[in-house]
Amino acid sequence: MMKLEAIIQPSRFESVKDALREAGIEGMTVTEVRGHGRQKGHTEVYRGREYTVDLLPKIKLEMVLPDKLVNTVVDTILKTAKTGKIGDGKIFLSRVDEAIRIRNEERGENAL
Amino acid sequence: MTTAARPGLRLLFGQPVNKMQGSVTPQSVLGPQADDERQRIRREFEAGVSARQTVLALCALADQKTQQVFEDALQTHTLSSSGLCLVALGGYGRRLLFPYSDLDILFLFGTEKAEQTFRPLISDFSRTLWDMGFRVSSAGRTIEECKRIEEDNIEFHLALLDRRFLAGDTELFNRLDTRVLPTSEKAARPFLLAQLHKLTKDRLNRYGNTIFHLEPNVKDAPGGLRDYQAAAWLRQISENKQSLNITAAEEDLASGAVDFLSAIRCFLHYANGRNDNTLTYELQAAAAERSLGVSDAETRNAAEWMRLYFRHARTLNRLLLRYLEQKALVPQTFRQRIFNVARGPKTEPTNGRPFGVRDGMFEVLNQPALSDRSQIFSMLTEAARAGIPLSRQAERCIAYIMQHPELTVSNAEVSWSGLREMLGADYPGFALRPMQRLGLLTEILPEFSRIDSLVVRDFYHRYTVDEHSLRTIEHLQELADPPDERAEHFQPLWRTVDRRDLLIFALLLHDVGKGMPVENHVAGSLEALASAAERLKLSEEEVAEVHFLIERHLDMSATMQRRDIFDPATVSGFAATVGNQERLQRLCLLTYADIHAVNPEALTPWKADMLWQLFVATSNHFSRTLDRDRVHAPDETSLLEQVRIVLEGGTTEEIERFLEGLPRRYLAVHSANDIAQHIAMYRKLKTEPVQIELRPSGRAFSLTLMTADRPSLFATIAGVLAGWGMNIIKADAFANAAGTVVDTFHFADLHRTLELNPTEIDRFRRSLVDVVNGRAPLQPLLQGRDKASRERPPKVAIETKFGFDDNSSEHSTLLEIVATDRPGLLYDIGSTLARLWCNIEVALIDTEGQKVIDVFYLTEQGKKLSPEKQSALFEALRTKLG
Repeated sequence: MMKLEAIIQPSRFESVKDALREAGIEGMTVTEVRGHGRQKGHTEVYRGREYTVDLLPKIKLEMVLPDKLVNTVVDTILKTAKTGKIGDGKIFLSRVDEAIRIRNEERGENAL
Repeated sequence: MTTAARPGLRLLFGQPVNKMQGSVTPQSVLGPQADDERQRIRREFEAGVSARQTVLALCALADQKTQQVFEDALQTHTLSSSGLCLVALGGYGRRLLFPYSDLDILFLFGTEKAEQTFRPLISDFSRTLWDMGFRVSSAGRTIEECKRIEEDNIEFHLALLDRRFLAGDTELFNRLDTRVLPTSEKAARPFLLAQLHKLTKDRLNRYGNTIFHLEPNVKDAPGGLRDYQAAAWLRQISENKQSLNITAAEEDLASGAVDFLSAIRCFLHYANGRNDNTLTYELQAAAAERSLGVSDAETRNAAEWMRLYFRHARTLNRLLLRYLEQKALVPQTFRQRIFNVARGPKTEPTNGRPFGVRDGMFEVLNQPALSDRSQIFSMLTEAARAGIPLSRQAERCIAYIMQHPELTVSNAEVSWSGLREMLGADYPGFALRPMQRLGLLTEILPEFSRIDSLVVRDFYHRYTVDEHSLRTIEHLQELADPPDERAEHFQPLWRTVDRRDLLIFALLLHDVGKGMPVENHVAGSLEALASAAERLKLSEEEVAEVHFLIERHLDMSATMQRRDIFDPATVSGFAATVGNQERLQRLCLLTYADIHAVNPEALTPWKADMLWQLFVATSNHFSRTLDRDRVHAPDETSLLEQVRIVLEGGTTEEIERFLEGLPRRYLAVHSANDIAQHIAMYRKLKTEPVQIELRPSGRAFSLTLMTADRPSLFATIAGVLAGWGMNIIKADAFANAAGTVVDTFHFADLHRTLELNPTEIDRFRRSLVDVVNGRAPLQPLLQGRDKASRERPPKVAIETKFGFDDNSSEHSTLLEIVATDRPGLLYDIGSTLARLWCNIEVALIDTEGQKVIDVFYLTEQGKKLSPEKQSALFEALRTKLG
C-alpha cells in the first residue's frame, strides 16, 4: 500500500476529484493549505496598504492506495492538475505498513 | 444530568465485591421481567400510546425495580434502611424517563458512618440494576454535605430541585426535603440563578442561538426539551414567580410542545437503540411518515412535518428567553444597592414616542399606540439604526396587536423608502430577526414565507433556509466590530458599501427559490424578486442591482474556488462579469456572508483569504484599467435604445456623440435615466457653458458638473466645495472624446449650510458657476475656511503615501494618494497637479473614515509623465500634504 499526498492548485481540485472518482477512487482526505515552493508570492496594494501574499492557497489531497492503483491515480492527477504553469504542485508517495478499519478491525488492503 | 459521585463512592464501585448472596428474587428472573415490560411499553408507544404515558410507564417500571432490588439488597446484607435513602433526581425525579435515559439516583446518608456501612450494599444494588439494563448515574452525599452548595457542580444542585423519594429512610428524606434544602437553596438563590443563566446561555451559544438546525438535537438544542426544563428551574428558583404573567393559553401551548418533542425523543431512542437525541434527515422522514406527535389525519412530507417541529421548538425557546431576559440575580454589595436605588431604572427619554430604551432594550410604553403600524416600524428602524434589540415585552406587545384583528390598525402599508431605511442601517438584523419571529417579515415580504422553517437536505448547511438567510445579514452587521481575524479585511467594505439596503434585500431573497417548485433555485429567487419589487415599487435601477446580486450570488465563490485567482485573465473575466467597483463590494460582502452562514466552520481563514485576494485583484483591475476601456458608442446598441426611450426628442447620433470616448466606468455607475439627464445638460452647454445638477443624497449631496475641459478645472471645483465647507467623500472625473467633462462629486455639508438655509443653494450654484467660468475669484472663498480647517487636528493620523504606476495604463501615469482627510485636501492636490501642468484624464476619489484614497490618471501633453516630472510632482505634493 502507498500513501499519496498531492499538493494542487485549488482551481484544479474539482476536476481532479471528478477524474479520481471516474478512476474508481472514492475516499480521500482534503485539506485547505497554504505554502510556497518555487512559485513565490507577490505583493498587492489595496487602498494604500500592502498585502504580501507569500503563502499561496493550495489544496492537499491524501489517500492510501493499493499498489495496483498507484500508477493510475498518479497519472490521473498529473493529467488533470497540470496547467503547465509554475505552482501546479507536487505528488509525494510513501509506503504504508498497515491500514485498519476501526468499525470492524479489517486490516490491509481490505480496510481501504 | 451529570452527577459527580464523591471520590470515596467512586472507589467503592471500583472495588471487586463478592457476588450478591441470597437475593430474594434472582437476577435471572428480574432481568427478563424488566426486558419484557420494556418491550411491552415500546409496543404500546409504537401502537399510538402517547409519549407522556410512555415516559410515565418507564418511570414506574424503574421505580418498581429499583425498590425491589433495594429491598432485596437490604435483606441480603441484613441491614435496615435507617440512615440511607434513595432519591430520584433530574428527569427521573420529574417522572420523565425516556427509553434510554440515565437513572439519576442520590444515595443520601444520615451520617458518615452510615456511608461506610452501606457501601457493599450500594455496590451490589448498582450492579444489579446495570445488569437489568438500567443506566444508573449515581451520587452519594451525607445530609450534612447537602447543606453546602458545591460551586463547581451546579448541575447537581439543579438536579436536586427535582428530588423525589424513591426508597429507604423516609424520615431522612423529609429532613432533606423540608428543612435542609429549602434553607440552603434560599441562601444560594442568587448564585443558583446566575449559574443557571450562565449554563443556559452557554448551551444556547453552543448551538448558535437558533432553533433552526437542519438536524436538531431535540433535547439540548435551542427549542429542545432542555429549554422547557431550564424555564421551569428559573421559575422555581426565582423569588418573583408571578412576574412573567404566563397565561393559561401559553401554558397549554408549551405543554403541547413538550408532548410533541417527548414523542420525538422516545422515537429517537427506540430507533437508535441508545440515548441519541439527534433528529437526522432519515429519522425526520420516518417520523413524518408515521405522523409522529400529530393527531390530525393530514399526510405530511418530511419538510412539512419539520415545520411543525420548529413551531413547537419556537414555543419552548420563546418561553425560556422570557425567563432569561429577567435579570439574573447576583449578590450586590451594600454600596451597589444604595447606588442602584439612587439611580433608578435606566430609561432613556422617549421624545413622545410610544417606545423607549430601558436597560439597553427597546420596550413599549404605550401599547394601544402600536395599532398605528408606523410606530412599530419606527421602533424597528430605530433598533436597526442603533443596534439595540427589542425586549420580549416589546415583541409581546406587537404580537398582541397582530393577533387581534378586531383592533383597528392604521398605516399598515410599508413603503420601500421606509423599508430601505431599515435595511440600509448599520444593524438591520436587529429589526429583521424580531420581524421574522412576529410574522411581520412575511407580511411585508410574503415571498420569504416560501422558506419559513424550510429544511433542505444538504451536507454542508446546518440551518434551515430562512435561518441561513437571516444569519447572512447578522454576519455582516457583526463586521462593525469584527469578531475574529477572518472578518478584519471585510470591515471597511461593510462600513463604506454603497446601497447597503439593496445588498440586504438581495440577501433576504437570494435563497427564496429553494422553497419554490423550480429546478434552479436562483431562477425561483429572481421570480420572487420580480413580485416583491413590483409590490414595493423599487425603481428599475434598484431591481437591476438586486437582480445582479441574486443571479450572481454564487459566482464569486465559484471563481475563487474553481479558477486561478492569480491569473490576470481570471481577474479580468470576473471584473467584466461584475462591471464596477460598487457592485464588486456588494457581491464580495454577500459572498462573505453567504459562506459564513452555511455553518460556523464553513468560512475558514483560507477561504476568507481567497475571497479577499479575489476582491483586491478585481478592485485593482477596475482602478487600473479605467482609461483602457473606453466607450465606442455605436457598439452599445441596447443602451442607446434604452437612453433614447427615456430621453425626450433624442437622436441616436446625439447620444453617441455624448458617450463616445467616456471610460466604461461611466456606463457602469450611471443608469439609462442618469445618462438621459446628462444628455439634457449636454444640450444646454451651447447656451450656458457650465451645467450643474445638485441633489440631496441621503445625508450628503451629489453634484454633477458638465463643461468643456479646461486647465485646473478639477482643482477649481474642489476649491469651491472646500470654500463652502463641503467635505468631498467621493468623486469621479470623466471626459468624452470631444473634451466634455462630466465630474461627479458626493460631498458632506459639514456645517449644514445648505440643509438649514435653502436659499443658500442658489447662491452656492451661482458661486460655483462663476468661479468655474472665471467670473469670480476662488481665493477669497478659501481664505476663511483654510484657517479653520488647519486648526482642527485629525482624530486618526494616516501616513501620507504617493505611488506612481506607469504599467497599468497605455496612455497615462497612475498616481495613487493615500492621506488623512481634511477639508480642502482635494483642492490642494488638484491645484498642485495643475501647477505642474499635469492633465487629469480620469480621477477616482474615495474616502474611508478619515482616510482618503485618490487615483488620478495623469498625462502631460498627451503622454505619460516623465520620471523627472514624477519626481517633481512627488516633491511638490509632499511639501503640500506633509
